Amino acid sequence: MSPVETLIVAAVAVVAAPFAGGLLSGIDRRLSARMQSRQGPPLLQPFYDVAKLFQKETIVVRRSQNFYIYFFLAFMVFTTALFFTGSDLLLTIFALTLAGIFLVLGAYKASSPYSFIGAERELLMMMAYEPMVLLTGVGMYLVTRSFIVADIARYPQILAQYLPGLFLGFVFALLFKLRKSPFDLSASHHAHQEIVRGITTEFSGRTLALIEIAHWYETTVVLGIVALFFASVPWLAAVVTAAVFFLVIFVDNVFARVKWQLALASAWIVAVALGVGNILVVFFLR
Amino acid sequence: MGAFTRSPWVMHYDASSCNGCDIEVVASLTPLYDVERLGVMNTGNPKHADIFLVTGSVNAQNVKVLRTLYEQMPDPRVVVAVGICATSGCVFRECYNVMGGVDTVLPVDVYVPGCAARPESIIDGILQAVGLLEKKRLYMKTARGRMHEMQLSQATAIDAPEILALQKIVYQNEAEMYDDWSLTPLKQTLEDMRADFATRTFIKAVVGGKIIGSVRGWMEGDIAHLGRLIVHPLFWQKGLGTRLVTEIESRFPQARRFETFTGQKSRHTMEPYQRLGYAPIRQEKVSEHRDRVYFAREREGE
Repeated sequence: MSPVETLIVAAVAVVAAPFAGGLLSGIDRRLSARMQSRQGPPLLQPFYDVAKLFQKETIVVRRSQNFYIYFFLAFMVFTTALFFTGSDLLLTIFALTLAGIFLVLGAYKASSPYSFIGAERELLMMMAYEPMVLLTGVGMYLVTRSFIVADIARYPQILAQYLPGLFLGFVFALLFKLRKSPFDLSASHHAHQEIVRGITTEFSGRTLALIEIAHWYETTVVLGIVALFFASVPWLAAVVTAAVFFLVIFVDNVFARVKWQLALASAWIVAVALGVGNILVVFFLR
Repeated sequence: MGAFTRSPWVMHYDASSCNGCDIEVVASLTPLYDVERLGVMNTGNPKHADIFLVTGSVNAQNVKVLRTLYEQMPDPRVVVAVGICATSGCVFRECYNVMGGVDTVLPVDVYVPGCAARPESIIDGILQAVGLLEKKRLYMKTARGRMHEMQLSQATAIDAPEILALQKIVYQNEAEMYDDWSLTPLKQTLEDMRADFATRTFIKAVVGGKIIGSVRGWMEGDIAHLGRLIVHPLFWQKGLGTRLVTEIESRFPQARRFETFTGQKSRHTMEPYQRLGYAPIRQEKVSEHRDRVYFAREREGE
């Protein structure tokens, strides 16, 4: 791609991703409602929520706490741009992690015990899912011999046939990333009560809206990585990504939350068994 | 179409009484009534809530809790009293520890009748509240453009809680600026401030019923001391500080000299005084990062 094309693709991705993420969030809420035999909110509800939050007063414990949220959003936007322009997968993963760290810092800055608990749990969750996400990048490199998303997407075979373990492991990590039961420790989605509201307790108004928008970006990127496993057959990639999204919502509605010890242990066992196991097999047999 | 009418997030709190209304509130979230189809979300966090549903009569012990929850809700916000106990206190009204309905503590916007209130009427109450939210939002939006309606007047002890709340907002900024959380204005108690009203003159700036700025002063000999010039951050850079200082000066016609002090980095506080001709007279250190700069101005023309 020429630099101009790259810029255009980045701009389109940055503008379109939050709409896709918001719509997915709307689908999520509606599907969840149907699974609980409720009618559920309109499909565009997440957009109404964010529009409302922008008009609310923003109450802060410290003004500087909002500063970190701007960076959280900025790095999410950066991650999205990187991923959809087909840049380095590792850089994308690191930028994604860095964005998450800014959210944690913001919650710590708010110096409220509820916010602290949320921040600590978010850190625990990051410890749990990060190894798996990183291994995904490594596994894709081992098969395609490239960390560049564009090259991985152009790989002629379906990646998942070499990396079934990594694929399943990544779907497992997705439960953390999308804040779904049984791993919605730091702040669950929907109207579930939290210890007050976990990591977002001290954020209100415009800042909360920005957190929500950043989460839409996040959703789009991680589902993009799921699609990458089947990138060589686009229709299959779309079907599998939709199925995975449905599965995640289904699991969210079926399971209760687990304790953090189990969340951490299970995530690492999955990362070692499915992630490292898969990588060893690929490494020695290919 | 306003987003407020489509996304009201509610927080519910049961003050006292039998808890029946609270159960009905929760019932309206169940699949049968499913208020989420109207965009209503139940939250336990006052900072995320738009509508405050209070059930039960208010007793002496939970007055403080109710106030705290209400104060933590961002504007615009609406209070809905659900059930007859929340409306009037009902049969508990005469109890020695019961204050009565919710409106004895908070400004209630909507009353929902019933014992216990039916989920249908609770949903109706929420929808009434949603309309009010939209109204309040429009009001808020125009508040900043309503500076011309601002009125300066002398404050009384009744205004103490509102002025104290404003003082804490403003001095929190100061504390961050100096990285010094020992500032006395941040630690002032309500009792302490009420006592100040006996010895000091307070001026308040009011827009649409809300206090957005204040300053206070007192005489010592023929010197008038001015202090705690505070303006809500939404109304900075609008010349409000200068108007407040001019107003309080006029309340001390007998003063020969005016004195005040600010922190060395507090530009927002310093500027109005400097514009009115106050000159720095001395500077002294009060803590590691903070100096006090004293300003004074002689009365002219006498």
